[in-house]
Formats: sequence, structure tokens, C-alpha cells
Amino acid sequence: MTPFIFAFKLLIAVPVAIVLAMTSIWYIWESDNVVLYDSFAQKMFAGIENYGLLAIPLFMLTGELMNEGGMTKRLIDAARVFVGGFRGGLAYINLLANMFMAAIIGSAPAQIAVMSRAMVPTMEKEGYDRGFAAASTAAGGLLAPVIPPSMIFVIYGVLAQVPIGDMFLAGIVPGLILVVMFATVITLIGLKQDFPRGTWMRPTEAGMALLRCLPAALIPLAIIGGILFGIATPTESAAVASLIAFLVGWLVYRELDPKSLFSIFQRTAINASMIIFMIAAASVFGWVVIYEALPQKLAALITAITDNPFLFLLIVNLILLFVGMLIDGIAAVILITPILLPIAMNSYDISPFQFGVVICLNLVLGLLTPPVGIGLYIAASMGDTSAGRILRSLWPFLIAVAVVLVMLSYFPSLSLALI
Amino acid sequence: MLKCISAGWARIELAVAACLALGVTLLILLNVVTRSWGAALYWVDELAIYTMVWMTFLGASAAIHYGNAVAITILTDVLPPALKWGAAKLVDLIIFAFALFLLWFCWRWFAPLSLVRAGFDVSAFQAETFNFIYAEPTLTLRIPKYLVWLVMWLFALGATLHSLAHLLDFSSEREAPETP
Repeated sequence: MTPFIFAFKLLIAVPVAIVLAMTSIWYIWESDNVVLYDSFAQKMFAGIENYGLLAIPLFMLTGELMNEGGMTKRLIDAARVFVGGFRGGLAYINLLANMFMAAIIGSAPAQIAVMSRAMVPTMEKEGYDRGFAAASTAAGGLLAPVIPPSMIFVIYGVLAQVPIGDMFLAGIVPGLILVVMFATVITLIGLKQDFPRGTWMRPTEAGMALLRCLPAALIPLAIIGGILFGIATPTESAAVASLIAFLVGWLVYRELDPKSLFSIFQRTAINASMIIFMIAAASVFGWVVIYEALPQKLAALITAITDNPFLFLLIVNLILLFVGMLIDGIAAVILITPILLPIAMNSYDISPFQFGVVICLNLVLGLLTPPVGIGLYIAASMGDTSAGRILRSLWPFLIAVAVVLVMLSYFPSLSLALI
Repeated sequence: MLKCISAGWARIELAVAACLALGVTLLILLNVVTRSWGAALYWVDELAIYTMVWMTFLGASAAIHYGNAVAITILTDVLPPALKWGAAKLVDLIIFAFALFLLWFCWRWFAPLSLVRAGFDVSAFQAETFNFIYAEPTLTLRIPKYLVWLVMWLFALGATLHSLAHLLDFSSEREAPETP
């Protein structure tokens, strides 16, 4: 009965957090454990009493501040210096700028929104197909949750009880592999499609562009440097990054109006609270998972099929591709991690870091696949084109991600090299 | 009437949540600064966490009013208008039921009646109910923890108010209130 009610509520669009909470309430009632109701509210509170979660509002704030502070433009100009002269230069600029942005923004939908608005019109003006422009931008957005900082890694780290800083390090190499794969895809498409020629900047222009980008470059430096060298916790580096974003946007670029701060904090508060509240609800849902012994039952089922960790990860990938098509990436991680991580660790001896990178990238991919591809719709509306037209140019990128997923599943060292 | 109260209360919740978000940022920055001076304040982390938890529950309650929580709309998007309206009402009802449950859980947890019956004598209350909520300390802040836990009441009451206002709103096209 419980799974049926659960699915029904999800399908009639009850907010995911309420589905989790109400299913737990139902389950406690059904299993006659009503004494658990006494500690229900306390358990919800305790589920988010976590230092790591502080990073979520802070990374969101950094994204909002840099969005308002005119940094996107400077980062794109800086990317132009490095790859602008190649044939199809703007497509590579897009990718490189997305990589920079991914080191500042921690969520794919946010990055896709910002970058589509900035890149798609420019690319179209220079003669690129609009569908391709939107597709390459949307694909670039997938770098956001893999290259640190990453909202989804923070959430996974809290759920899996692994250090978030290490989780961030685990994402760096896979993120760079993704960049190389995407660049390859762009080159291959260019062989067929004949991209417009690019122009190199004059040295003085290039120097200026790099100089102007320098203050904005402090942000990824603060975040990745702080974590890589162990100077600051991810939470602390997020706070420092938001301070830099504010000061640079306000005093250096002069595009950020301190008067808009209140609405920035309001957006930060409501967006962060929706995600953190889901985690609170998931912590009571944990009761259902534990009492039903879901991981053990599933483990018995899966270990009967294979005892090879790689095959296990492939099966998980296939299931999650399907899950990701239906459920928002972060909500899916909150639902899936408590069930699958124990199986991965106990039955297959898979590192929680490798597992985290694989499932997070997989579920984020769902942002770009119909029918529930939020990223796809954002790119479509920001780039003023249709989701179908984007998909026609997007599939080579999706295949590239699938290949990376298989590589990450087969070689644990890709995720574990830097930890 | 109820709609106005709900909207007004949501605005207050959101404004307070925004201030708390600012508070989180400042507290963590304070932590960075004091630690680099080698004089870290031991209570900042705990205070920052509680600030975030308060922000979360106030924001989550406001999100019920603004109707912008994460949900799966793949099926409801394609329903004909009448069924869509019915589904939305059912969702309102489920959220309202959740809010009432939460009120009841808070009532069971804080047991205000037993506390009154014990004459606000915490040890008598504990001896009678084996509920130690009023004796639980915070780790570093030197205030009793039940004060921090009070946010669950605020959340339960706010959620009840917002979901009831939605539930009783029978206009055919519900305009989603604009999030700031």
C-alpha cells in the first residue's frame, strides 16, 4: 500500500518534500508505531542540523550576486582570448566560459539560464544555428554540478556522510573529462556543419579582457583553492566567495546595486529553503526505508543478478537515467542515495565518492531529457527556441555524457585521483 | 480575508527568512575572520546552523503560499482543465492534512497541557511524562533547546494557514502569487 500511495502523490504533483513526509506519516500509522509521532517534528529538525548544509544558501547567494554583478560578460570575454580564433570559435568560447562559470555556480538550471541568455543570441548573430547554440549551452550547464562547487555534491555528501570537500575534489577530473568530450563533440559537428570563422583578439584587447576578468576569477580561486589546500571548509569558502562576488560586482564592475540586496537574499532564502526542507522530509522518510529494510531487499535482488561492481553500476545507471527523466535531479538524489548507497558500499565495495559522482552526473543528465527536462525548457525559453529543436542538436552531447558515465563507472581512479 | 492574512504572513516569513540568510552569511564570515586571528568563537557554528534551520522552515512555509515547491507536474500538465483543478485541490488537501498532522506532532512533543498541569515545574512534568524536551540544552549557546525547536510551531501554523487559504480558494484560475 505504501508504495502505491507514494507514487500516486508524486504523480498528482504534491511537492516532493510533502510526499516524503506524508508517506512516512502513513507508514507509521499503518505499522502501528504511533509512538514515533512524538519525535516526528524533532526528527525533521535534526535532519538538517548539519554544518555542511550551510553551504547551500551560500553557494546560491554567490550565484545570484555574480549574476547581478556583470561577471558573466567578463568571463565570456576572457574565454574569447583563449579559443576565439578557431573556426567555430564561439562554440568553444561557450564551452570554456561554461567551465569557468561551473567553478562559481553550483547548479545546472541556474547556469543554463545565465549562459543561454548571454550566449545564444550572440552565437546566432554570428551565424550559428539557434538549436545548436542552445544545445551546446545547455550541455555546458551540465558542468556546473560536477566541477566544484556543486549543490548536488553538498546534498549527496550530507546524505552519504562523507566530507563535502573531498566530494568536491572527486568531481574535478570527471568535470575536465566532460569538457574534453564536449570539445570533441563540437569539433565533430563542425566537420559536418561548417561553423563560422572566428577572429583572434589583438594583443592589447586580449590583455584588457584578461585584466577585467581577473577580479571575477578570484571567486573560483577562493572556492577551489580554499578546498584543495584545506585552508577553508566548503561552507567557509562559499561565504568568502559570496563576499568577493558582492564587492567585485559593487565596487569594481559597478553593476550591482546594494539596494537589490534584499531581493537577492529573499530569492536565496526561498530557493535554499525548498531544497533543505526536502532533506528534512527525507530524514523522516529514512524511517520508512530502514524499517522496510528496502536496501537489504533490493541488495538481495541485485546481487543475485551480478557480483561485478561495474555491471552493478551499469544497471544503476540505466535505472537512474529513467528516474532522472521523471524526477528533478536534486530530489532524485535525496530519494535514491539512502537506498542505493548501502548496497554499493556493502555488497560491491564501491567508494562512496565514485558512487556519488556517477549518480549525481547521471541524475543531472535528466535535466536535459524530456519529458521533465527543466534545463531543456530553460534553455528553450531563454534562447527563444523550441525544446524539440534543441534536442535535435543535443543528442551528440548526451551520448558524450553517457560515455563519460561508463568511463567513471569502470575506472574508480577517475573520481578518486585527487582525494 | 484568509487569503490576505496568508499573503501578508508569507511576506513576513520571507522577509525574516531573507534576514536569516544574511545572518548565516555574516556568521560564517565572522567565523573565517576570527579563526584567521586565532581567536575562533566556539558558539558561531551552532548559531549559524540554527539560523539556517529557522530560515529553512520559514521559507518552506512561505513556499507553500507561493506554490513554488519542487513537484512532478508531468501528468497534471496534460490533464483537461476540470481534472487539473481537481488534482490541484487534492494537492491542497494533502498539504493541509500534512500541516494538521504537524500541529498535532508539535502538540504531542511540547505537551503544553501536561506542562500546565505540572504547574510549569519541569521536573514534575518529566517525572509524569518522561518527556525531556524542556531539559535539553544546546551545545554551546547556553539557551534551552526548546526555544530553538519552537520554529516547528511557526512552521506548522504557517503551513496550516497557507494551505487552508489555498484549499478554500475556489476561483477557477488560481493566480500563483508572484515570488519576489
